[in-house]
Amino acid sequence: MVADLIESLAKIIFIFTINLGFFAPVLGWVERKQSAVMQDRIGANRADIFGFTVIGLFHSLADAIKVLTKEDFIPAGANKFFHTIAPFISLVPAIAAFSVVPFGGKYTIFGHEVHLVIADLDVGILFVFALASLATFGVVLGGWASRSNWSLLGGLRASAQMLSYEVAMGLTIIGIVMVFGSLKLTEIGAMQENFFRWGIFLQPVGFILFLTCAIAENKRVPFDIPEAESELVAGYFTEYSGLKFVMFWMGEFLEIVTISAILTTLFFGAWHLPFVTDAMLLGFFQFAGPNGAAILAMLVNIVTFFGKVVFFIWLQMSIRWTLPRFRYDQIMRLCWKMILPLSLVNILVTGLVLLLWTR
Amino acid sequence: MDAMKDFDPTKNHPMVGVPLDKLKPKPVRKRLDLTLWEKVYVPEVLRGLGITTKHFASNMLGFIVPPKGKKRKVFTVYYPEEQVVLPAAYRGRPVLVMKPDGTEKCVACGLCEKICPANAISIVAAERGEAERYPESYILDMSRCVYCGYCEEVCPKEAIVMSSEYQGLAERERSQLLYSKERLLRSEESVRGRIEYIRRIYSKCNY
Repeated sequence: MVADLIESLAKIIFIFTINLGFFAPVLGWVERKQSAVMQDRIGANRADIFGFTVIGLFHSLADAIKVLTKEDFIPAGANKFFHTIAPFISLVPAIAAFSVVPFGGKYTIFGHEVHLVIADLDVGILFVFALASLATFGVVLGGWASRSNWSLLGGLRASAQMLSYEVAMGLTIIGIVMVFGSLKLTEIGAMQENFFRWGIFLQPVGFILFLTCAIAENKRVPFDIPEAESELVAGYFTEYSGLKFVMFWMGEFLEIVTISAILTTLFFGAWHLPFVTDAMLLGFFQFAGPNGAAILAMLVNIVTFFGKVVFFIWLQMSIRWTLPRFRYDQIMRLCWKMILPLSLVNILVTGLVLLLWTR
Repeated sequence: MDAMKDFDPTKNHPMVGVPLDKLKPKPVRKRLDLTLWEKVYVPEVLRGLGITTKHFASNMLGFIVPPKGKKRKVFTVYYPEEQVVLPAAYRGRPVLVMKPDGTEKCVACGLCEKICPANAISIVAAERGEAERYPESYILDMSRCVYCGYCEEVCPKEAIVMSSEYQGLAERERSQLLYSKERLLRSEESVRGRIEYIRRIYSKCNY
C-alpha cells in the first residue's frame, strides 16, 4: 500500500517536472531557435548572465521574470469569473492527458511491480479525447468572457474548428484501435514490441490523418485561424496578460508534448527500441542484478520514449514554420470533405483486411 | 559623437544580399490551377518540409562545426559588434570636406542653402586673404535634413558630400542637432569613395 503510494507520487512528480519544468520553458526557446535556424537567421541570443548567453536559453528566464511582474489585467465589462477560469481549463487538460500515456513497460523492483504509467485506464485513448474536448471550453470561454470583438471572433472560430476536428480525430484513431483490439494505451504500447507491428506500418494513412487532426486540435499553424495574429491580434487570448497569458501559452506547448506522446504510443512503438524487446533489455543488463537490471531497463525505456517525443516535437515545429495558414473555409473543407471520408475509408479497408486476414 | 569617431567602415566584413551575378530569374508558372499531384497536398507538404529541413540541417551543421574561411550562410549582422560594408551610393550624414591644411573646401556660394528642400542649411559668408570666400558659420540642422543629397549634387567644389556615417545621429537635446562647421568637417581621404562616385554619376565635367 505504502509502496503503491510512493510509486504513484514518484510518477506524478516525474511527469510534472518533465512537462512543466523542462518541456514548457525549453519549448519556448526551441520555437524561437528552430525557426531561426530553419530561416537562415540567428535567433534570440542577447539575454545573458555575467556574459554567458547559453545560446539564448536565458531568454526563457527573462520571459518568466517579465510575465511574473506584469499586471494581471481584466478588461472592463468582462465576466471576471469565466475570464479567470478559462486559462485553467485550457492548461489542466494538457497536463492531465499525460496521465494515461505509458512511458515504459512493467518491471518488478524489490518484489513490487512498477508500471510506468500514472493511471492505466481501460478507456485510455477515449480519456485523452475527453480531455481534449475539455480544452475547447477554455478557449471558447476565454474568447467569450473577455468582452472584446477580437477575442469573441477567435473563440467562435476555435469552437467550430475544434468541434469539427474532434469528430475526425476520433474516427482516424478507430483503425489503430481495430488493429490492436484495445483502447488501453499500455496494451497498445506492449503490442508494438515487434518492429514490424508498429502502428506506422499497420496504419500509415491513419497516422497522417491523425497528425493533421492533432495539429488542428492544438490550433497551431497552419490551423491557427482562432488566434491568427494578422487578423485577430491574438485571437481568443487577446485580453489576457501576465500569468494567465502564460497559462494559455504553456497549454499550447504542453499539448504539443501530449500529441507527440500519443503519436509515439499509437504509431511509433511507444517505449520500444526497434528490434529490442523488454526481455532482451533485462537480459542485457543482467550484470547489475535483477533489481538493477529492472531500473536500467526502465531508464532505457524512458529515454527511448522521450527521445521519440522530442522527434515529434521537432516535426510539429517544422510543420509550424513550413506551411502558411489555411483560410477558414479551407480548414472546414479539409475536415469534412477530405479527412472525414478518408478516415471512414481507412476504417472500411482496415476492417476488410482484418476480416480476410484473421479468417 | 564618440560613436561616430570610432566608426570605421573598413574593419567590418559581412556583405549583405545576393551577389548580382548570382541573381537569376526563375521560371514562373502562369497557370494558377493546381495539378492533381498538388491537390493531394501531402506530397507537396513533404516537399516543403524537405526544403526547410535541408536549411535546418545545413545551418545546424554550420552552428556546430563553423566552416573555416567560407562565407557564412546566415545573413544576420550582429549590429554593434559588426557592421555592414556600405556601398558608395549610400547617403548617410552630409559632411563638409576638409582641405589638407585643415580649412574647409566650401566657398560659401550658397547653392546648397538655396537647393535644400528642407531649409536645413544656413551659411554666413565671409572673406579672408585676397578675396577668398569662406563660410564664417555653416549650420546644418540635422533635425530637418532629409538626406536627399541635393546639396552634394549642386555643390561646384565637391565641398559637401553624403558620408556613410549613420551612427550617433540621435541627441537628447534639439539644440545639439544644429551641427556647426567644426562638427561637420571630415578629411578628404575619409570620403574619397563617395567623391569618386559622385564624379561618376553626376558627371560634373560635362557642364
